[in-house]
Amino acid sequence: MTLHIGQSQRRENARRHLAGRGRFVSDLALPRMLHAVFVRSPMAKGRLVEIDTSEAEQSPGVVRILTAAELNARCKPWVGTLDHFAGMQSPPMSILAEEEVLWTGQPVAMIIAKSRAEAEDAADLVMVDIEDSEPVTDGAAALQDGAPLANSGARDNLCYEALLETPAVNEAFADAAHVVEASFTFGRHTAVTLEPRAVIADFDPSSGALTVHHGTQTPYQFQDVYARHFGLPEGKVRVIAPDVGGSFGMKLHVYNEEMGAVAASMILERPVRYVADRLESFLSDIHARDHIVKGRMALDAEGKILAMDVDDLAPVGAVSAYPRTSAAEGNQVIRLMGAPYNMPDYRGRLQVAFQNKVQTSQYRAVGHPIACAVTEALVERAAEVTGLDPFEIRARNLIADDAYPHVSATGYQFEKLSHQASLAKLREMMDPDALRADQARLREQGIYRGFGIASFVEITNPGAAFYGVGGARISAQDGAVVRMTPSGDIHCAISVTEQGQGTETIIAQVVADQLGVSPERVSVTTGDTATTPSGGATWACRGAGIGGETALRAGRKLRERILTLAGALLQADPATLRLEDGAVVDVATGEARITLEEIGRVATYRPDTLPDGVDHSLTVAHHFAPSGYPFDFTNGIQGSLVEVDVETGIVRILKHWVVEDCGRIINPLLVDEQIRGGVVQGLGPAFFEECQYDADGQLTNGSLADYLVPMACEMPDIEIAHIETPTEDTILGAKGVGEAGTAAAGAAAMNAVNDALRPFGARLTQTPMTPLRILDALDAARKQRTDP
Amino acid sequence: MKLEGEQLLSADPQTVWAALFDRDVLAEAIPGCESLEQLSETEFTAVVKLKIGPVSARFKGAVTLSDIVPGQSCTLSGKGSGGVAGFAKGAAQVTLAPEADGTRLCYDADIAVGGKLASLGNRLIGATAQKLTDAFFTNFSDALAQPEEAGPT
Repeated sequence: MTLHIGQSQRRENARRHLAGRGRFVSDLALPRMLHAVFVRSPMAKGRLVEIDTSEAEQSPGVVRILTAAELNARCKPWVGTLDHFAGMQSPPMSILAEEEVLWTGQPVAMIIAKSRAEAEDAADLVMVDIEDSEPVTDGAAALQDGAPLANSGARDNLCYEALLETPAVNEAFADAAHVVEASFTFGRHTAVTLEPRAVIADFDPSSGALTVHHGTQTPYQFQDVYARHFGLPEGKVRVIAPDVGGSFGMKLHVYNEEMGAVAASMILERPVRYVADRLESFLSDIHARDHIVKGRMALDAEGKILAMDVDDLAPVGAVSAYPRTSAAEGNQVIRLMGAPYNMPDYRGRLQVAFQNKVQTSQYRAVGHPIACAVTEALVERAAEVTGLDPFEIRARNLIADDAYPHVSATGYQFEKLSHQASLAKLREMMDPDALRADQARLREQGIYRGFGIASFVEITNPGAAFYGVGGARISAQDGAVVRMTPSGDIHCAISVTEQGQGTETIIAQVVADQLGVSPERVSVTTGDTATTPSGGATWACRGAGIGGETALRAGRKLRERILTLAGALLQADPATLRLEDGAVVDVATGEARITLEEIGRVATYRPDTLPDGVDHSLTVAHHFAPSGYPFDFTNGIQGSLVEVDVETGIVRILKHWVVEDCGRIINPLLVDEQIRGGVVQGLGPAFFEECQYDADGQLTNGSLADYLVPMACEMPDIEIAHIETPTEDTILGAKGVGEAGTAAAGAAAMNAVNDALRPFGARLTQTPMTPLRILDALDAARKQRTDP
Repeated sequence: MKLEGEQLLSADPQTVWAALFDRDVLAEAIPGCESLEQLSETEFTAVVKLKIGPVSARFKGAVTLSDIVPGQSCTLSGKGSGGVAGFAKGAAQVTLAPEADGTRLCYDADIAVGGKLASLGNRLIGATAQKLTDAFFTNFSDALAQPEEAGPT
């Protein structure tokens, strides 16, 4: 029998999407539906003096203009803190600004009209009088004594701080043969999903039921949020996430606009649609990163890492995001430092600051690219001062493949990783000796190429450790209902969700293998709280590992049920039977005894012919919560080859390599798609993507004309290899892979650029590495040489 | 954003000075001006329709004249709100100096924009502001050159 786990299968929905038959929230139109547009603060900070809606109210098509007094009263304010982040503060947030505006783009009024165009025309006529004041934009300045408050609801501008420290860290630095250090700046960027945020809230006063069609990754989380914040019984709230055009973490946060649509629908008792346009996406989607990190690394004379000491400053906007907070990224930055290496001692300090910009929060590979870039840039400097080759210094320091379980200096527990095997594999793929020879030859022609590598770990399959322990109502478990239809087909309704990565396809593969059918016979339903069991859904790389295991166990439960029924029908011991190729087969002879179709027919239409007491229900439910390790870490290593034009500062990314170990691979094609997409979302902010603000807190490149996203022609070939170290915490053995590419792509690229610039003594420590910054680095190095 | 420049006007400083405080001249000179009301000697409110790149909006704003040294210099500060398009605010120091056949007017302005104007039109603002300034002075200069129209009797 062919197993489908481990086979490449195309995404089940790819053909439908290509044919234009996708069904996204932005495609949906409900009867009597109204359209919402938000009037936004053009200022980063100020006092709302007056909102004059009189002219706008007369505008054609306008149904209602809602202001804070009416709208905010409908919705309990939300607070973006978690209990396990001790001492964290964040002022409450409501749908519309009431007295104070806190960032450019914050909604201050909501126009409801018969069409989006009419609502936009009316929004033009709303006059907002804001008495502006000096905004807090710079993170370091925000934390200085006497700094003005970014948000007058906060005690000060310190949202959260944390310190991790091993007892001997000072001694480690004191005894070190070498200490390398550097400061890094990681720019703000954003998700730029193909489909923007979209919601249609539909409150039916006759039944008291709220249905929200919502382009999100986490329908159950939003069911809970809507129920609690709008005072509705949970059972009356249904959230449907149909096709979702990319999410990357950005669509699991609570936003003012979505809450506004729900409130407006309850007030107007009609469906209210809000779909962000691209300009609004830049102003209101969460941004990511924005870290200033100072790092030091101590080494002994042989180049062995003794300790790291890092200081991360993360300005996150005027409030912390809800319900996952804006402190989680910084928290992961300081915990992931040095993670691939044997590093006995460590100090990591985090300061999360309020400022008057749109909030930052979780986006693909939360914290990983920062921790990885800092660690790997310091390892690269360590290689320089110790005279070791980049591969050699890593070989000396990466945790040995037979040294597990291992606990990192920051307290992470690693079940089993394959760093050394990954490094060896990467060396084979990249052939660094040939690259060095090429580099030397080309330098003579004035062509500057460089390569860099970066090891990483990725946090996947989180249990309750991420959010549950902090009091967040975010499910750490998932559920599946698997049933056999009367024709012997299989249906699986599962709580993990699909945003284009192929969740439904892999779930079908996993279920198919448990029931001895081809995946084509398994249909999968996701993304609807009314038709799927409750669960955490898809984030933090838990879809395959936790969702897959849930599906596997549910599938096995149904298998037992089918075999028991078959045993009764065939008068055979179920233990002598198994499922294969759509039939019940005799284990001993391999002979097909009865088809699933026949079992379905009997169980459905002729249960009267079954022996008494035989359970003919062919629907089972199973919930699975990860146990054992708090997370299943994955690991890997990436390599980057670039060519820097030292006259223009323009970089050509020539090649990228990834060796990755995500445990059991369910679908190699989709795993590689995840890695490639992840690499592109790592290289984007390394070279192109940045949300640029001026000193007044104005976003100055908030459109796709000015904000650069990587296109196919800028991206290199990405060569991928795998090592499989399944987790033993589950039967399936799969770990996550969605963030692996993003985790280390930028780090490898930064090392590559700096390798190319080595003859000039120039070094980049800021992303994105734009041509201007590269020329500045070259210029600084030139001045250093001529005027030391 | 800083904007500096000068303009040679074919009228004596007293005439230019008077025109700077003349509602009718200003209304004609300000590009896209739909209405201009003089509240006092030194305060005006205006509605101006402007297009900056893809953003077009009707700005409602106030202009105040201060630091007045009659016949020589003053500071014009203004703030306009264009609704969802954003806002513009700024101040310009204007100085007049007599020249052989007229007046040299120098301006030194600092302008800030916000909202959609900043996020979408940022790259175009410098060029547009220069264009609008040029248009203002061309109009202003033309208005000065015209003989005073006879008002209704």
